[in-house]
Amino acid sequence: MSRETKVGIIACSGEEIAAGTLTRLATRRVLEMLRPQSTVTLCLPLFLAGEEQERRFARLHPTITVDGCDKLCAKRGTEQYSGQVQVSLNVSDILGDRVAKCHRSARDFDRSDEEAVFLLAERIAAEVDSLSQAIPENEVSPNPGTTSCGCSCGSPPPEANIQLDGKNVAVNGLPLIFAHLHKQGLRPGPGCAEQVLQTASIYHEIRDEDRESYRGALAAAYEAYCRRQGADLLQLSPKNKEL
Amino acid sequence: MRQGKADMKDTEPQVLVVPCSGIGKVHGLISREAVYEVTDKRMPGRAETVCLALLVTGDDLAQQQVRTHPCIAVDGCPKLCAKKNIELSEGNVAVSIRVHDTLKKYRGAQFGSATQLSEAGWAATSDIAAEIAEAAERLTAAKTEA
Repeated sequence: MSRETKVGIIACSGEEIAAGTLTRLATRRVLEMLRPQSTVTLCLPLFLAGEEQERRFARLHPTITVDGCDKLCAKRGTEQYSGQVQVSLNVSDILGDRVAKCHRSARDFDRSDEEAVFLLAERIAAEVDSLSQAIPENEVSPNPGTTSCGCSCGSPPPEANIQLDGKNVAVNGLPLIFAHLHKQGLRPGPGCAEQVLQTASIYHEIRDEDRESYRGALAAAYEAYCRRQGADLLQLSPKNKEL
Repeated sequence: MRQGKADMKDTEPQVLVVPCSGIGKVHGLISREAVYEVTDKRMPGRAETVCLALLVTGDDLAQQQVRTHPCIAVDGCPKLCAKKNIELSEGNVAVSIRVHDTLKKYRGAQFGSATQLSEAGWAATSDIAAEIAEAAERLTAAKTEA
């Protein structure tokens, strides 16, 4: 994976339909958990409501669009206002009949939605990998690490990164790992470090010589995460606390 | 307003409620969930939503809908994408609700993330849904009187 240029992902986010919700959640899953180091996104309506720097998005990043229906608004909107799309994905082509069992509101989410998001996110991540391999080794994004959107669409959530020897390092799956451990009742502090390290090392390559650095950094990041959550566990939906 | 709803005569809503497509922060999620609470629970059949992306691409039916119905724009961040895109489609923004501003009154609360709401996030969502519904009822009443 290169390098500096990040792959852009634009979801249609279609608010009317469940497939639109799937595009958004799958995109976030790729950004936060599957490929946090190599992807950025932007709200599609910013192509019209934003400024020139937002409209440069697809010219700065090889871009994947993810659409919820055959109208292909994300693809058409991106090409109309920003630049050529490299990969166009349509949820119904990927998930088929599964979409009919999904919901547009998180209040109604169940296992069908969760599985659909996982499958779609995996497909997007595979396309990210293909595009990344095609990026020249020395190509450098003008704004690595962020998009130009003022609402921070492209920035990973704070819990996706740790401070390692003075550097900001993105760790695959870290928000999911922290949420899981928090849900399991793991308390922050010195006693949590080994468990956080072991879990993180399943998803993120940690060399033996770096383990001690990671141990401290992950424990500190987990403590900060727990502070942000306060006493309450995050819930995806009031109805489905297990999701 | 489109798939499975082609027969508009039977399901014609009185108000359109349009959330932003915010994908980066919790504010966008709150805007959408508040809208769904209104369209699906508080005012089913009387309030509906439309994909903002359809307005971005200049879809004829979507543009017609925002031009012929009073619209409530519900935006997560100060970029106001929903409001601006309705206006660019020459639609009628009767009310503009700004989630970012509304959330300021919950000082110190943690609302969740771009993909998950905490209990405080759901509570704020319901408050904003009530605000939307109140505005929608006002618009509906005005439309009926007219």
